[in-house]
Amino acid sequence: MTEEFNEMDMERSQALNVEIKEEPKKFLTFLSDGLTFAIDATNVGEIITNYSITIVPNVPSFIKGIINLRGQIIPIIDIRERMHKMPLEGTDTSCIIVLDIDSTSIGIFVDAVSHVVDIYESNISAMPPNSSQELVKGMMSLSKEQVILFLDCELLLQ
Amino acid sequence: MDNGMENMLDMYLFETNSLLEQLDEVLLDAESADTFTTDSVNEIFRIMHTIKGSSAMMEFSSLMTIAHRIEDLFFFIRENTIDSIDEEHKKELFNLMFFSTDMLRAEVEKLENNEPLTSNVDSFVEKVNSFLNKISNKTDETETAKKEGENDQKSENCSTELPQDGSGAFLKVTFDEGCGMENLRAFMLVTSIKDIYENLTFYPSDVETNPDTAAVIIEKGFLLGFDTKQTLETALNIVQSSGNVQSYEILMPPQAEQEDNVPAAKENEPVAQNHIDATPAPKVQAPTPNIQPSAPNTNVTHVGANKQSLISVNLSKLDKLMMLMGELVITESMVTSSPELQGLKLDNFTKSARQLRKLTDDLQDTVMSIRMIPVAGAFQKMNRIVRDMSKSLNKNVRLTIIGEDTEVDKTIVDSIGDPIMHMVRNSMDHGIEETVEERIRAGKNPQGEIILSAEHTGSEVIITIQDDGKGADPVKILEKARRNGILTKPESEYSQKEILALLMAPGFSTNEQVTEYSGRGVGMDVVKKNIEKIAGTVTITSELGKGMCTTMKIPLTMAIVDGMEVSVGKSIFTIPISDIKQSFKITPEEIIYDAQGQEIVKRMDNFYPIIRVHRLYNIDTEITNLEDGILVWVGEGDKSYCLFVDELMGEQQVVVKPLPSYLSTYNIKKSGIAGCTILGDGNISIILDIATLHHNTSDYAY
Repeated sequence: MTEEFNEMDMERSQALNVEIKEEPKKFLTFLSDGLTFAIDATNVGEIITNYSITIVPNVPSFIKGIINLRGQIIPIIDIRERMHKMPLEGTDTSCIIVLDIDSTSIGIFVDAVSHVVDIYESNISAMPPNSSQELVKGMMSLSKEQVILFLDCELLLQ
Repeated sequence: MDNGMENMLDMYLFETNSLLEQLDEVLLDAESADTFTTDSVNEIFRIMHTIKGSSAMMEFSSLMTIAHRIEDLFFFIRENTIDSIDEEHKKELFNLMFFSTDMLRAEVEKLENNEPLTSNVDSFVEKVNSFLNKISNKTDETETAKKEGENDQKSENCSTELPQDGSGAFLKVTFDEGCGMENLRAFMLVTSIKDIYENLTFYPSDVETNPDTAAVIIEKGFLLGFDTKQTLETALNIVQSSGNVQSYEILMPPQAEQEDNVPAAKENEPVAQNHIDATPAPKVQAPTPNIQPSAPNTNVTHVGANKQSLISVNLSKLDKLMMLMGELVITESMVTSSPELQGLKLDNFTKSARQLRKLTDDLQDTVMSIRMIPVAGAFQKMNRIVRDMSKSLNKNVRLTIIGEDTEVDKTIVDSIGDPIMHMVRNSMDHGIEETVEERIRAGKNPQGEIILSAEHTGSEVIITIQDDGKGADPVKILEKARRNGILTKPESEYSQKEILALLMAPGFSTNEQVTEYSGRGVGMDVVKKNIEKIAGTVTITSELGKGMCTTMKIPLTMAIVDGMEVSVGKSIFTIPISDIKQSFKITPEEIIYDAQGQEIVKRMDNFYPIIRVHRLYNIDTEITNLEDGILVWVGEGDKSYCLFVDELMGEQQVVVKPLPSYLSTYNIKKSGIAGCTILGDGNISIILDIATLHHNTSDYAY
């Protein structure tokens, strides 16, 4: 799968950017409610599967609560609920991706983590103008059926 | 080396700042007495002397020049006594002094912020010089001449005052080779010895002004003259502890040659040198045994009075200590309440655990107390503000300070400085009546009063700023609030309390015009924000025509609290023990319902509402019958109520951690959550804030 990505990327980039030499960037892809999302790997702190979430009262429902990560208190967001979908029930594959965005730590609760891919940023297209999709700053198609949505980490914090 | 410089700078800043604070105090005292006493003149002289010396050492020329000019000025005043200056000039002198301390302070601030120092202080020097001229013209012309010839005269002094009675003694100090600035080092030495011994004479006598003397000192050493051998011995200690002193020799001129020694200081030296051989064991390295024991004793009584038991520590080290302390407390409860120990009968372990608990408690108290400093520092600064504003606003106001010895955490002292200043300025500017006539008409003392007080009450410190001015006019406040569009409901519905709270709303300022001191409309809400940052509250009370009082309540420590763990469903909450009055079970008969169906319980002849935590926070729990769970009676006065929880889990000391900043965008503070803490098993417990929780219950659907 990964190789497939890379090959495709290479081909595309060669076709599109013959002159401009561009270094590929690493992205972590994960699944949430059947969609594939990608986040800049530089923002990813760690992935944890063993956690116990403490519920915080009187906050929007997409905030699952807080966890204790080696003495650090980190808020957890359910990506599904943040995108106004049904909340995620914990499964075998579900896990928390801890993101460090502008020195703020935040955890996102996702269905499953897929893998790390190299992507040329120039291949990412902007969202269609009228899209009501939140938190996404761009998209890229992998194959006919599959599309990667790029998550905007800064927006996630707001 | 770099590190060393940094340390030197830290020391310098610390020393200079404390000297400037001292100076301010002396000046304010002197001003209220309307004259300088001999003591205060000497004190100012000494402070300026030290600042000048150390600034020169650090090569901060602007600071040195300013301090030097003031020193000159006070040298003159000391020589001629303060009475030689008439009232007019005294006033000018006070203003000049306050101005110069401000200048010094500004320069020091620049150093602290790593900014370049002012390179040109000519205008200031000019000011002092012209003032000096003015006052010196008043006095005898010969005096002026004396002043001008200060240096020559000093060297004369040096020769004439030398041991005429034959009991004198000399000390010849040699500095480390190549240490540089020998003249200034010599001068520093003189300054520190003068602290304990006034009549010191020294040669070369113009070390502080003439850099060429450095060469003389290198060549011939630096000579210090004492009246008696005893004083010399006292000074030895200082010489020994000074940096860069390579060696010193004690020179004792025998009585017979006294007459011949008198003429000139320069001749002194060869004569003195002759006596080296005559004096037994003059070298430092082998001090005579009878000198040693007496020296430290006298030294301690002179210099040690306020220095010896204090050390200055970098605050970041204390913060680290505090943090470690917090971790220790967590770990201790992690160990002693480990789930693996449950159900085991471990007598010895329990005993040791108790011992450990006691020790950590003690340790914690000690660590906390290290960080406790009196609020005096923050309070004293207000003297100056009141003084300056009295002058510029032409109001007669006195500041009364109560409880300045109250000790609070260092971070609190740092964060209350600005809010207090804002409030004092507000009182000065808006509170106190514009004119004395206005005050007299209102039947008040013509002199306005601002009372600044601090006191402890159990777990918090209360700071009040009270003035006897005209107070806040609720009608005007409402009107202003309406104009600024910050009203949220019809005017008639606002209570007195709510109206006063409007004062602290962002963008509110009752003064029509922006003045130099206050009225930018940011003051009060900044006060509120700053106090809330350290978990405190601000309330304003006011009576029209009688004045206004601002009360700040700040928790003493924010880091560690004694908490009661309670469970609601699967969640665990911590209630600060200091907020709990009682916890009890209840029978269905005891529950009283009001018209809205609110559950009420009677306790000690009073009725209190029951707040179900599971309903308030929407938590699933099996215990919904009041008689199955437990009621915790919390709060004070009109903010007292009973919380209904599933179960009490036990008492624990917890370290308060703030909730992630991400959550604060959701106004989490308003829902009665003070923070969170990590329990022994690694789980998180949410700490309830009893006061705001009550506030929150007004929106609570019972």
